Amino acid sequence: MAKSKFGEKFISFLEKLDSLDRRIIFLIIGLVVLIPLLVPLGLPIETTQLTEDAFYAIDALPQDAVVLLSFEYGPSTKPEIHPMAISVLRHLFSKGNKVIVMCLWPDGLFMANEALDLVARQEFGLEYGVDYVNLGYRPGNEAIIKGITKSFEANFSIDSKGVSISNIPIMNDIQTARDVDFIFSLSAGYPGAIEWVLYAGDPLQIPVSSGNTSIQVNQLLPYVKSGQMKGIIAGMPGAAEYETMVIRKIENNIGTITDRARELLPNFKERRNATKFMDAQSIAHLVIVLFIVLGNISFFVKRRKQRKY
Amino acid sequence: MYIGILGAWIAVFLTLSILSYLYEGNVFYKFAEHIFVGVSAAHWATIAFWNQVQPNLFGRLWPQAEVASLDGFQKFWYGIYHGLHVIFGKIFPEATFNGVLYRGIGDQPQNLSYLIAFVLGIFMLFRLIPKIGWLSRWSLAYVIGMAAGLRLYGYMSSDVIGQIHASMLPLWTGNIGSSINNIILIVGVLTGLFYFFFSVEHKGALKVVSRIGIYFLMVYFGASFGFAVMGRISLLIGRFNDLILYSGKEYGFATPILLVIMVVVLILTTRKGKSEEV
Repeated sequence: MAKSKFGEKFISFLEKLDSLDRRIIFLIIGLVVLIPLLVPLGLPIETTQLTEDAFYAIDALPQDAVVLLSFEYGPSTKPEIHPMAISVLRHLFSKGNKVIVMCLWPDGLFMANEALDLVARQEFGLEYGVDYVNLGYRPGNEAIIKGITKSFEANFSIDSKGVSISNIPIMNDIQTARDVDFIFSLSAGYPGAIEWVLYAGDPLQIPVSSGNTSIQVNQLLPYVKSGQMKGIIAGMPGAAEYETMVIRKIENNIGTITDRARELLPNFKERRNATKFMDAQSIAHLVIVLFIVLGNISFFVKRRKQRKY
Repeated sequence: MYIGILGAWIAVFLTLSILSYLYEGNVFYKFAEHIFVGVSAAHWATIAFWNQVQPNLFGRLWPQAEVASLDGFQKFWYGIYHGLHVIFGKIFPEATFNGVLYRGIGDQPQNLSYLIAFVLGIFMLFRLIPKIGWLSRWSLAYVIGMAAGLRLYGYMSSDVIGQIHASMLPLWTGNIGSSINNIILIVGVLTGLFYFFFSVEHKGALKVVSRIGIYFLMVYFGASFGFAVMGRISLLIGRFNDLILYSGKEYGFATPILLVIMVVVLILTTRKGKSEEV
C-alpha cells in the first residue's frame, strides 16, 4: 500500500517536472558547480587517446625544435583553453624548445601575454626574443596564415612590443611558417585550428595539433582520424589530462627535461589550473545526465497517461 | 593595488549582471550587455589599427627615412606624410636623432603597391556617404573574391580530398576491433551522404539506408550536445572561480557585497513592477 502511494507520488513528481520553473534548474546547476569548487573531492584524472596523441607529438620534438603557438581565444573561453596554454608552454620550455607566439584573435594577445609572463618569465626565467617571442595580433584570419607560409616579415613587421622582427634573434632563421617544426593552435572557433590545417599544416606538411573548446571537438575529430592533426586537447578535461601528463613526465624523468623544469615540479603540482576544476565538471555532468533521464521518464509517463484517456 | 581591487569589483559586477539574466531580463543585464558590445568593438578597432594598419600599411608606404636625403618624388611623398603628421601626430610620427630629422614608421622596405589596399580601405569607409557609397562595393568585391579563392583551395584540398582519402579504409585489417571501426565509419559516411541525396525518393531499401544515415547523424548531434554542455559548464566554473577569488578580504568582499545589493535591487524592482501591473 505504502509502495503504491510512493509510486503515485513519484509519478506526480515526474509530471510536475515538465512545468518546473527553469530558474530552479539553473539554481541546482549553480550549486553543483559551486560546492565542489569550495570543497574539492580530488577525483582521479585518466588520460585519453586524443590528449596522449597531442602530448607525444610535442614530446617527440627535438630539443632545438621551434614551435609556433597561436592564440585564438579570449576571456570568454579562458577557463577551458588558458590552462592548456600554460601546460603546453611548460611542456615546451621544460624540453628546451623555442616558441614563437602569434594571435589571430585580438583578445588572444592578452591571453598570450598573461601565459608567457607566468610561464616564460616568472617560472622559467627565459629571455624574450631569444627563447620566445610574441608577434602579437594581426587581423586577416586565414589570409595571415597563408601569408606567413610565404613570409613572416610581410605580415609581422613588428612584434607585440613594437620591435622590428629583423632585430629579434629567434626570428633570424625563421623566414616562413615552413621553418617551424610544429604548429599548435589554442583555438576557440574561427579562425582557429581548422584554418591552420587547411592553410599551413596540409600545404606545407607541418604537424599541427590543437587545444580547443569542447564545442569544437566534433568538428576536429575527422582531421585527427585522417592524420591531418596530431591529436587534440579537448576542453577542460583535456587540459586536466595534459597537466597530469606534463607532471608525470617530469616526475618520472621521461625524455629531455631541463634542470629548471625539475626545480619547478612542486610549483606545477600546486598550480594545476584545470585539474582543480574537474570535480565540479564531473558532478555537474552527473546532475545533467540525471535531469535528462528524469526528463525522458517524465515524457514517457505523461504520454502513457494521455494514451490511457 | 587599488587598481586591482577596482578591477575585481568591475569584474564581479559585470559577471553578476550577466548571470542575473537567468532570473529575468533586467537593468543590470542590459547595462552589462551594452558595455560588452561597445568595449569589444572599440577594443578590436584599436588593436587592429595599431597592430596592422599603422605598422604594416603606413609603415610600408612611408618607412622611416632621413628628411635631408629625400629628393624628387620621395620629397613630395614624404611631404604628404608631413601634412598627415601635422594633423595626426601620434599616427604619423616624426623624430630627431642626433640632430637629424626622420620621417616615417619602422624599417620595412618601401612598397607603394600597398596604396591599392589603402585606397580600397578608404572606399570601404565611403559606405557612410550615400552618394559615393557604391565605391565600397569594389572593396567588398576584392575581399569576397580573395576569401572565396583562398577558401576554395583550402576546402578542396584538405576537406574534400583529404577526407575522402581518409575514408578509403580496408574493411578487414587483421584486427577485429579496428576492422569493426572501419566498417562503422564507412557505413556512416555512405548512409549519411545518402540521407542528403534528394534526387531519388527514399522508399523501400533506400528508405532503410537513409534511416541508418539519420541514426548516425543523431549520434553526431548527441555528441555535439554533450560537448556543448561540457563547454558551457567549464565557462561557468571559470566565472564561479573568479567570484570565489574576489569574495575575500583582499578584494574588499566584492562578491558578497555586490550579490546582496543586486538581489535586493532585483527584488524591489520586481515588486514595484508587480504593484504597477495591479
